[in-house]
Amino acid sequence: MRKSFLIAGVALIAMAGSAAGWVATRAVPDAPPAASFAVLDAEKNEIGRYVVPADKDIFAQPNADEIIYGKRLLADTARLLPDNVGAAMNCNSCHLLDGKIDAANGYINTVNFYPRVMPRAGKEVDLETRINGCFQRSMNGRPLDREGREMKAMIAYMEWLRQGVAKEHRVDIVNAGPVDESLIPDPDNGKVIYAHKCAACHGVNGEGMRDQFGDIIFPPLWGDESFNIGAGLARTYKAAQFVKWAMPPAMQLDGQLGQGGVLTDQEAIDVSEYFTHMPRPDFAPKVNDWPNGNKPKDARY
Amino acid sequence: MRVLKLALLAGLSALAIGWGVAASTPYWFAPKQDRKVDIADPELIARGEYLARAGDCVACHTAPGGAPYAGGLGLQTPLGTIYATNITPDPETGIGSYDYGDFERAVRKGLRPDGVHLYPAMAFASYQVVSDADIEAMYAYFMSAVKPVAKQNQPTTIPWPASLRWPLAWWQLLFAQPRDFEAPQSDDPLVARGAYLVEGLAHCGACHTPRGLAYEEKALKDDGSGRFLSGSVLEGWYAKNLRNEDTGLVTWTEEELVTFLRTGRNKRTAAFGSMSDVVEHSLQYLGDDDLTAIARYLKSLPPRPGREQWKPKEDVTTAALRDGDFSAPGAMTYIEHCTACHRLDGKGAPEVYPALAGNSMVFADDPSSLIQVTLAGGRMPSTLGHSMAFTMPGFAHLSNADLAELMTFIRNGWGNHASAVTEADIARMRKEIAHKPVHYAPEAAQ
Ligand code: HEC
Ligand code: HEC
Ligand code: HEC
Ligand code: HEC
Ligand code: HEC
Repeated sequence: MRKSFLIAGVALIAMAGSAAGWVATRAVPDAPPAASFAVLDAEKNEIGRYVVPADKDIFAQPNADEIIYGKRLLADTARLLPDNVGAAMNCNSCHLLDGKIDAANGYINTVNFYPRVMPRAGKEVDLETRINGCFQRSMNGRPLDREGREMKAMIAYMEWLRQGVAKEHRVDIVNAGPVDESLIPDPDNGKVIYAHKCAACHGVNGEGMRDQFGDIIFPPLWGDESFNIGAGLARTYKAAQFVKWAMPPAMQLDGQLGQGGVLTDQEAIDVSEYFTHMPRPDFAPKVNDWPNGNKPKDARY
Repeated sequence: MRVLKLALLAGLSALAIGWGVAASTPYWFAPKQDRKVDIADPELIARGEYLARAGDCVACHTAPGGAPYAGGLGLQTPLGTIYATNITPDPETGIGSYDYGDFERAVRKGLRPDGVHLYPAMAFASYQVVSDADIEAMYAYFMSAVKPVAKQNQPTTIPWPASLRWPLAWWQLLFAQPRDFEAPQSDDPLVARGAYLVEGLAHCGACHTPRGLAYEEKALKDDGSGRFLSGSVLEGWYAKNLRNEDTGLVTWTEEELVTFLRTGRNKRTAAFGSMSDVVEHSLQYLGDDDLTAIARYLKSLPPRPGREQWKPKEDVTTAALRDGDFSAPGAMTYIEHCTACHRLDGKGAPEVYPALAGNSMVFADDPSSLIQVTLAGGRMPSTLGHSMAFTMPGFAHLSNADLAELMTFIRNGWGNHASAVTEADIARMRKEIAHKPVHYAPEAAQ
């Protein structure tokens, strides 16, 4: 009798022990390893991986306050810089999610791209000038002080986002995805697409939507508060690249914003032709653009 | 030895009696009704179609991408998968050979014409209170207007001996006693109509009432215990408390409720998970009068003691985030991944992005839905009322630690207040999502 108790006891302890061991060795499910992009050298050889940094990482930077300020300026530009912004738009309206998304005008390589020669300006431009280009065209506003705290903060954010990738290297992402530029736009079809696929957010009359404070939820797509005709997005095919790959958001179960994947090339081009050619502010200095020719076929002037 | 023999004998005879009682229930517990129904009457057919919508028969009896009512959708249980059957009027594989009595017994009593008892996965415990007139109309609709489809039923995957069906008769005896609809006391006829729909055809309780160990709903109507519609978890979604109390619907107006039921969204919230299917397949087709009746009835459900009110605490989150103070635990993760849609003020965008501020699904007692929708994402129902249905992307790529902090932040931000979410909660939900049956995923198959 005693003996069988003993055996039972030992068996019990052994069972409990192995159960505990089993529980301990079973991995707790957690996030999969972070997605990453290749880092390429000038010959396009992969020399490393780039992981989009989490914003929490900013707290660990010596200039955390400056980076956070820059990040806020990009996201809330119209509210925080009313003197410089003429449109009801933020930088994030086109540079989605603080420039962290592939094919949605990301800033990941931006610091490394400049200075460079731009055909539109016909000369070399630096990053400050490029940013101010977006202030004057896309935001239909006024340039920032090149040496000011705001400009420095925005660039500090972009510098952080680069994550130390060397000047001559590139993270393997694109600013905008491809569309077939040989397709002929049909603005009538574009109008129909706009009503079905865009108006729920951007408004029946392209007026966008504001929140309780008057801040922009959905930016306008035309009218006095939209980007002016000097903006890159005023061009049908450039707009179509953005619209096809970055719009609408909240369509997919994956992707940071569930964006894109809804329109065909033709549809993206049709709807872009439609909304870009609706009334929008003029851009007086347009006369200086493309001084050396090579004007793209969809330029507005 | 003798004792053993006796015990065996006793066991066997108990089993035999149990079986005997079960086998006899078709004769006394659920006797077959005899009635002539004019299945060609167009008015009756039209009413039947509407009622079948209200009963959401299509949701279970249609496989993802399959022909309507031809069956094949698997309903997961701990013991195995039960497949909803073909209820098209095909005489061989469907219910074409059913007479009215057969149909009535299957729908209200859970009994097949061959005397086989149905699993409670079929909502007969709720349908029991459906009136004779309504069953007749549905019978006419199914027999005359549904397109017959020849498709064999799939057997359940439940292993023997659990697959024996006669014990289900005992389940029915215990938990689905025949009962007639009793209207709640109210001067408002709409409340009675609402109760009739909610308890019966719309079977809201099948998902929103907690279930007991035997899978029985703890209350099939508002019986004073406060359990009816007090919230339940199914497949990792928390079908929230629908009583007119704190974490239930006390913060909702009748209008908000009607808008939600018709379109799957309102200024504050949006449907996801299986509720999205309910709106898409069923509720959006109901008339305004019936939706108002449902809303009014739900708003009439008395709160349990001490749970009459829900008061938001002071909102300090909006100002902090607008001023760039992201130091609260979870705030930076929110800013990075959620503000683009749900915004600094947590109010989202009306009818596009649901609010998180003051949204009763966010501060619900059980955070399951909040965790699952954030991990796996969700889709609003497509309805006739809106040209676009929006999708929330999943955030399974964030770590358990980040998500726990984030969920806790949301549950306590903008005036919300609720219990904290832990890393273990997130890990548990990841497991649940990983083990979700692929064949019962109607929300992903749209
Ligand atoms: C209406 C849309 C729009 C808005 C608003 C906008 N941008 Fe841009 N931005 C673009 C597009 C499109 C490009 C790419 C242009 C091109 O390829 O010629 C671009 C390019 C840039 C670049 C160069 C990126 C690179 O890697 O070469 C920077 C930097 C930039 N924008 C900063 C800003 C800032 C800062 C703001 C806010 C003050 C802003 N943008 C607002 C559309 C916009
Ligand atoms: C679910 C809402 C939603 C839908 C639908 C939607 N957008 Fe957008 N759109 C946005 C948001 C939000 C932004 C700004 C991004 C941000 O702030 O994060 C934006 C930005 C834009 C921009 C750049 C900013 C501007 O105002 O010029 C364009 C162009 C645009 N959308 C075009 C479209 C087109 C074309 C469609 C239809 C095919 C569409 N969008 C559908 C929400 C939407
Ligand atoms: C929650 C899911 C669900 C809903 C809703 C539902 N059913 Fe069922 N039904 C089932 C399942 C599962 C079975 C099979 C049960 C079994 O095999 O024991 C079934 C079986 C049946 C049967 C028996 C068919 C046969 O001969 O095998 C009929 C008839 C039926 N349902 C009619 C209806 C009608 C009419 C409605 C709408 C008023 C409805 N069901 C709504 C799940 C559902
Ligand atoms: C098939 C199961 C199922 C049925 C049947 C069902 N619900 Fe739900 N319901 C859910 C789930 C799951 C949720 C949680 C997801 C959500 O909040 O959208 C939910 C959520 C809700 C919500 C809260 C939405 C929010 O976001 O706060 C309301 C209100 C609601 N249901 C009402 C009803 C009513 C009324 C009925 C009956 C007419 C009903 N439900 C029938 C599963 C169901
Ligand atoms: C691209 C826009 C977008 C982003 C980014 C986003 N959501 Fe959502 N969210 C939605 C949409 C659309 C719904 C409605 C989904 C549905 O009804 O199935 C939703 C629904 C929800 C709900 C359910 C609310 C309700 O009542 O229906 C919660 C909770 C939620 N989101 C939390 C989050 C959290 C946490 C994050 C950040 C990790 C986040 N969301 C990021 C668009 C977004």
